[in-house]
Amino acid sequence: MAQVPIERRVLDNGLRVVLSRDPRAPAVAVNLWYDVGSKHERPGKTGFAHLFEHMMFQGSANVEKGQHFSLVQAAGGTLNASTWLDRTNYFETLPAHELELALWLEADRMASLLPAMTQEKLDNQRDVVKNERRWSVDNQPYGDWDERIQALVYPEAHPYHHSTIGSMEDLSAASLDDVREFFATFYAPNNAVLTVAGDFETDAALAMVERHFGPIPANPDLPSPPDMTVEPSIGEEVRETVPDRVPLPRLYLAHRIPPFGTDAFDALEVASDVLASGRASRLYGSLVREQRLAQDATVFVFPIVGGASMFSTWVTARPGVAPEKLEAALLAEIDRLAAEGPSDADLERVRNLHGSHHASSLERISERADRLSMYTCLFDEPERVNAEVTRYDGVDAGRVSEALREWIRADNRVTLTYVPAEAQS
Amino acid sequence: MTAPRPAAGAPRTYRFPDFERHVLPNGLTVWLVPLPERELVNVHLLSDAGAAAEDEAQAGVAALTAQLLVTGTRRLDAAAFAGTTERLGIEVSSESNWDSARAAFQALSAHLDAGLGLLAEMIRTPRLDEREFERIRAERLNDILQARADPGRLADESFLRHVFAADVPYGRLSAGTPETVGALGATDVQRFHATRYAPNVAHLILAGALDRDAALAAVERHLGDWSGEAPGHRSFTTTARGGRRVVVVDRPGSVQSELRVGHPGIDRHDPRYFPALVMAALLGGVFGSRLNRRLREELGYTYGARCAFDPRRAVGPFTANAAVQTEVTVDAIRELLGQLARVREAPPEPDELAEVRNFLVGVFPLRFETTGGIAAAIEPLAVYGLPDHWWREYRENLEAVDPAAVHRAALELVRPDEALILLAGDAARIRDDLEAAAFGPVEVVTAEAALSR
Repeated sequence: MAQVPIERRVLDNGLRVVLSRDPRAPAVAVNLWYDVGSKHERPGKTGFAHLFEHMMFQGSANVEKGQHFSLVQAAGGTLNASTWLDRTNYFETLPAHELELALWLEADRMASLLPAMTQEKLDNQRDVVKNERRWSVDNQPYGDWDERIQALVYPEAHPYHHSTIGSMEDLSAASLDDVREFFATFYAPNNAVLTVAGDFETDAALAMVERHFGPIPANPDLPSPPDMTVEPSIGEEVRETVPDRVPLPRLYLAHRIPPFGTDAFDALEVASDVLASGRASRLYGSLVREQRLAQDATVFVFPIVGGASMFSTWVTARPGVAPEKLEAALLAEIDRLAAEGPSDADLERVRNLHGSHHASSLERISERADRLSMYTCLFDEPERVNAEVTRYDGVDAGRVSEALREWIRADNRVTLTYVPAEAQS
Repeated sequence: MTAPRPAAGAPRTYRFPDFERHVLPNGLTVWLVPLPERELVNVHLLSDAGAAAEDEAQAGVAALTAQLLVTGTRRLDAAAFAGTTERLGIEVSSESNWDSARAAFQALSAHLDAGLGLLAEMIRTPRLDEREFERIRAERLNDILQARADPGRLADESFLRHVFAADVPYGRLSAGTPETVGALGATDVQRFHATRYAPNVAHLILAGALDRDAALAAVERHLGDWSGEAPGHRSFTTTARGGRRVVVVDRPGSVQSELRVGHPGIDRHDPRYFPALVMAALLGGVFGSRLNRRLREELGYTYGARCAFDPRRAVGPFTANAAVQTEVTVDAIRELLGQLARVREAPPEPDELAEVRNFLVGVFPLRFETTGGIAAAIEPLAVYGLPDHWWREYRENLEAVDPAAVHRAALELVRPDEALILLAGDAARIRDDLEAAAFGPVEVVTAEAALSR
């Protein structure tokens, strides 16, 4: 497997810079991770990190509203941003000769967002984000599953207890003062990672980075990270039934597991693939193809680092299949894998699928840049991108069954069952 | 403190990769795109077996056939076929659209020969047995249920159902209705496969880490003696059901209206293809497009508004869409129609046009960053017979689109006065306002009724 080249620098203001050169195509990716996500939000301010991300496209000292998008697109580039539990990322992919444009745009808003902020822009983006919530959560069948699951898996005081999209009430309450404070607190070079991947000359790229980001002052008073301490296990079985406008019942199972980056997490990632990646997976073979109880089966682990992660499963019942029956069949498959461990054929299959997926993902310079930012932001170790395959392949059958037995148990489980609303009562 | 906005450096040239085309004695067309310095290879096998090839009474048979292909071969049952391919790190996909069916996989180059062998086995000797057929058909029927509950899918499918005249195939749900799917049997799928999957109407695309001679030899070994002959595609013309009108697909309790506005657009060979592409991007294809700027960035009515043509072998739809907050449904429709009218009023300013054109020209190399992207780029050449120089001349063709051409395309291809305005939303909350707004006659239908005709 080809290795991703990595060069690191740290500017005097604390900005961590990662360069990964690949001159095969005349394109370059710029990716910034700010070490701020919805876990940094305080009570009453849910959804703010994401709303703030929208404000980052409303202009800065030298950029008009909407111009960030239009300048990058007119240069033949693509761009976006996203907010999640641990972080907020901003990214552009452009023709190689437009690298400096992206650096300048990112630096301008890191340095000088506030002069461009107005109440009108905040009100507009608040409406946009509320419509994003309506579209992705409130008007979607099963749309609030992750919000419900997070609230049940993490205790109320834990920063993962609430969703990234946040509540309508809290979005309504967000003010320009909140924007100013959030910017001053978190949007500083010593709270960010900048990755450049693709076609560039290293010295020239470093000079551009220094020119645009070097003068931005650090925040000497970065707050200490939120307290993510949480009991390793939930400690009891938690169940919730949700009558909803859905045609088929669906079960969501979630377990509290060790965070991303740990050996146990790796073992559970392999377990998730044995269970549900591909048509030769255990759950697809058993629940979908043979027993025909389920319409689909999905398992995944969340790459999050704050205290505990989640091992999540969902299965949609076929018409006429009682959720209890589906749940029993699902748990039987998980328990069987925990008891017996994966076979050599299971492991060969998931390792080769993982290797193909890894190579496929890293074909894109944007994905390479994002992973380098992620590993630097979360672990201060971009080299982890080159260890993904060996870490995965190093998980043996014993580690899979041990991790399943330790973490995927009834007293560490949330079961959320969506049922068609008419069928209730 | 901030440095001034930098000037761009010198652009590096980009050329779409060289490819070659061979026709085997059995009629199979093979497209080879060797890409040095890659790890992966993509293989796409296209057959003239899309939904346009099926009879209305059998609507859904094309999609079911494509989906059933991956459930095993005469030699390997469903579990064995999945296990054998996935052990090589290969996931075989098989799906259909209106104009073709595609079976495909991506693999590390070492597995090209083995993967190609399995793909060929699947296409030539699929199992298509009763037991797996029953399962795939039931899953498809369940998916139709799920689509009715999902407001975006409900609006998409209802729109197609209502925008075309009753006899136009594109108005059918491309994967069939509960009635037609329910009436299909395994023998229908076997017959469709036998008559529509054949080398004379198939194209095999290989792109990525491959040695030209070895790849060709592998193709001949696995598919050189594939025999059979299928008829060419059917042709038809599309007509609109016609007249500006409003259809509300009732979804009580919806907090948003999923809005679709449009009418028939262009086919894949339309000489106005490039002006239409640029005009649609300017109107609703980029973040700063007129629709998104107005409905999202100025009014906050929606998370996003856009529009696009969907050119097919025959005339496909032109659709503008947005999911808007229920309370502003009527205003959003008025604004959207206003933008459709405005693009017809005058040619765009040169700056606005340049921004959009530069985007389409500039992202060209980014679209072909992956082996999968390059294999997909060959598909329209194969399916629609576009000329070999299509991608080489693509950027010149875009650059030739001037403000007058955009305006002409808008006048000819955007017709708000004839548009169907369809929305999936809470009829009780919006019906009276829609009537009062007088966009056209208002019809309220249930989800079930919207998806049958």
